[in-house]
Amino acid sequence: MKRQLLFLWQILFLALLLIPPLTKGQSTIGRGKISGDFSFSGMYYLPDSLINATEVEEKVRANTYLNLLYTNANFSVGARYEFYLFPLIDFEQIGYKGQGITYFFADYKNDFLQVTAGSFYEQFGNGFTLRAYEDRALGIDNSLYGARVKVTPYSGINIKAIWGIQRKNFDFNFMERKDFVRGGDMEVVFDEIFPKMSERGFSTSVGGSFVSKYENPKDVTLKLPANVGVWSLRFLFRYKGFRIESEYANKINDPNLGNGFIYKNGEALFITTSYSQKGLGVSLSFIRTDNMDFRSQRNTPNTTPLLQINNMPSINHQYTYALLGNYSFVSQPNGEIGLQLQANYNIPKKTKIGGKYGTDLTIHYSRLHDIDKQFVAASDSLGSLKGTDGYISHFFKFGKNLLYQDIGFEMSRRLNSHWKLGLEYNFLTYNLHLLQGEADTNLFKGHHAGVEVQYKINSRHALRLDAQHLYSKQDMGSWLHLLIEYSISPHWFFSVADAWNYGNSQKEKKIHYFNVAATYIIKTTRISLQYGKTREGILCSGGVCRTVPASYGVGLSVITSF
Amino acid sequence: MKKIFFFILFCYFVNPIFSQEDSQTAKFSTLPSVDIKTLDGKNFNTKDIDNDGKPIIISLWATWCRPCIEELTAIAELYEDWVEETGVKLYAISVDDSKTASRVVPFVNGRAWEYEVLQDVNSDFKRAMNVVDIPYLCVLNEKREIVWQHTSYAPGNENEIYEVVKKISNK
Repeated sequence: MKRQLLFLWQILFLALLLIPPLTKGQSTIGRGKISGDFSFSGMYYLPDSLINATEVEEKVRANTYLNLLYTNANFSVGARYEFYLFPLIDFEQIGYKGQGITYFFADYKNDFLQVTAGSFYEQFGNGFTLRAYEDRALGIDNSLYGARVKVTPYSGINIKAIWGIQRKNFDFNFMERKDFVRGGDMEVVFDEIFPKMSERGFSTSVGGSFVSKYENPKDVTLKLPANVGVWSLRFLFRYKGFRIESEYANKINDPNLGNGFIYKNGEALFITTSYSQKGLGVSLSFIRTDNMDFRSQRNTPNTTPLLQINNMPSINHQYTYALLGNYSFVSQPNGEIGLQLQANYNIPKKTKIGGKYGTDLTIHYSRLHDIDKQFVAASDSLGSLKGTDGYISHFFKFGKNLLYQDIGFEMSRRLNSHWKLGLEYNFLTYNLHLLQGEADTNLFKGHHAGVEVQYKINSRHALRLDAQHLYSKQDMGSWLHLLIEYSISPHWFFSVADAWNYGNSQKEKKIHYFNVAATYIIKTTRISLQYGKTREGILCSGGVCRTVPASYGVGLSVITSF
Repeated sequence: MKKIFFFILFCYFVNPIFSQEDSQTAKFSTLPSVDIKTLDGKNFNTKDIDNDGKPIIISLWATWCRPCIEELTAIAELYEDWVEETGVKLYAISVDDSKTASRVVPFVNGRAWEYEVLQDVNSDFKRAMNVVDIPYLCVLNEKREIVWQHTSYAPGNENEIYEVVKKISNK
C-alpha cells in the first residue's frame, strides 16, 4: 500500500514537472524538433459488494505512458515508455501488465521512399490481410517490430513491404519467438496517373495484398502448416456522388484454437456503396466473413485482441452511449453475414422545416446473422472436427441465428442562439447466448430513447442535459441514465451522472451507479478527477469493445501532448 | 521511472537553450509529413496542407465521436462568415477506421459541411501529431506553423478559435 502511494506520487510529481517546460514552446535540437505525449490514468479502488466490485490487493493503480518523437527534416525517431506494473484492474485482467520501452523506431521518408526500422503500425486496404494498430483505451497494441519499406515509383502507384514480429503485451523475448509476419501491398490510383479522369468526375483505384505468417509447426497429433497466407484484392470506383468499394480476401488453411483446428480456407467479402450530394448521404454495406481470424500464434484464444494480424470491420452503427455499451456488436471474423444501411439528411437552414440553423437527421439499420454451416463428418467418436475441413458454407446464405440488429433514428437541431436539441430512438436486438456466451438463449430486445438539451448561458458558459432510457425485459432489465454537465469554455467541465438499473428483476440489484467528475483543460493538457461507480460490462471505444469488471473509486487522469 | 525523470530534466535544459538560439524558427512547430488519403482515395501528404498564406484550421474527428461532431457543427453554422472575413480553410481529418471509413463521405455530405475532408484510417497522422484523444483542433498561421491547439470541445470554444484566426488574417 505504502509502495503504491509512493509510486502514485512519483508519477504525479513527474507529470506536473512535465507541463511547464513543454508548454512554453517547441523543444528543438539543432533544426529538429522534439514532441511527445504523456498519459497517466490512475484510480484508488474501493470495495463494493453490491455492484460486485471486489476488494483488490493493490488499491492504487495506474496506467502510464510517455511517447517521444524527434523529427529532423526527413528523419524521425521515436519511442514509447509504458509503466503498467500496477495497471487498472481491467488491464490486469487482459494481461496488460509490465513496464518497459514497448515501441521504438527510426524512420526516413521522402516523396519516393519511406523506410522504417523498429516498431511500426500499418494497414493494408481495409485491414483484411494486415492491420497493426493500437487502441490505448482498450489495451490493444498489435504493433510489429521489424522493418517496413514504402515506395512510390510513380505518382499514383504505391508499394509497401513489411517484415516483423508482433507485440505480445510485455513479452520482450523477441529472439525466442518462433513466429513472424511478412507481407506486401500494392495500390494503383488511376486518377492520380491520369488527372483528366478526376476532371470528368471519375476516381478509380485497385489494390492487392499478400501477408504470410510463419510459426513453428510443432504438434503431436496434427500436421500443421508452418506458413499461413492471406491474400486480398480490392477496388474503389467513384463517379461524381456515386461510390462503390469492395474487398475480397482468402486465407489458406489455418488450423487454430479459435476455429477448432480445422483446415478449411477462410474468406471475407466487403462491399459498400454510397450516393451523396450536398445535404444528403445514403450508404449500403454488405459483409461476409468466414474463418478469417488470423493470429501470430495459433493457440491464442479468439476472445482477446492479442496477436491479431488482420482486422475485420464491424459494419453496424457505432453507439457511444454507456447504456448501450453492453449490447454493442463486435465483428465475428469466424462467421458473420449482414448488411447496414444509413442515411444522413440535412434540412437546409433558413427554410420552414429546417429552421434558422438547419436540422440534421440520421436513420440507420443493420442486421447480422451467423453464416450457414453444414458440418463434415467428425474426426473422432467425440464429434470433434479437429483435423477435418470443418464445414461447407453457402456463400450468400444467411445462417439461421440472428446475432444483432439495430434500427435507429437521430435528429439534432439548434432552436436559437441559446438552445440546442437532440432526439434519438433505437431498437436493438442482441444475441447474448452466441455473442457473450450467456446460458440464456433468448434474444435481448431493448428500446432506447434519448433526449439531449443544451443551453448556452452566454458565450462561455453552457449547460447540457442528457437523459436516456433503455426499456427491456431481458438481461439486466431497464435503465435510466441522467447526466448534467456544466462547461466553461475553454477550460472547465463539471458533470454529475447517474445510471439507475431500476428494472432489474432482483430487488437488491436496482442500483444507482452515480458518477461525479471535474475536468480542467489547457491547450493540449487535460486533468480530470472522477468519483463514482462503474458497472460490470463492456467498454467500447471506436467500435471495439472489451469486458470490464465493476469498479468503485476515485480516479485521476492527466493527459498532455507537447 | 528513472528514464522518465531524466527525460524531464533533459527537457528543462534543452528547451531554454535551444529556443533562445533559434527563437524565430523554433517557436512554433510545423506539420509532420504523413501520407493520408483524400475522399476519392488519392494519396495526400499532410505537409501539403495549404491555404495560400491565409489561416488554416485542422480538426481531428470521427463519425462516432459526439463532441467532435458537435464542434464541427457549431463551426459549420459560422463557417460561411469566417471564410468571407478571413479566408480561413478548415481541414477536417477523420480518423475513422475501416469499420466506418466508407461512411465518411455520405456523412460529411449529409451534414452539408463545406470543409476539406481527409482520411487517416490507421491514425498515422494522429500519432505523428501526438494526439491522445479527439476532438483535437489546431490553428496554423500564414507560415503554416501551429500557433494554437486544443483538445476536447466545450460550447463556446468556437469563439476563441475565431479570435485566433482573425488575429492571423489581420497581420
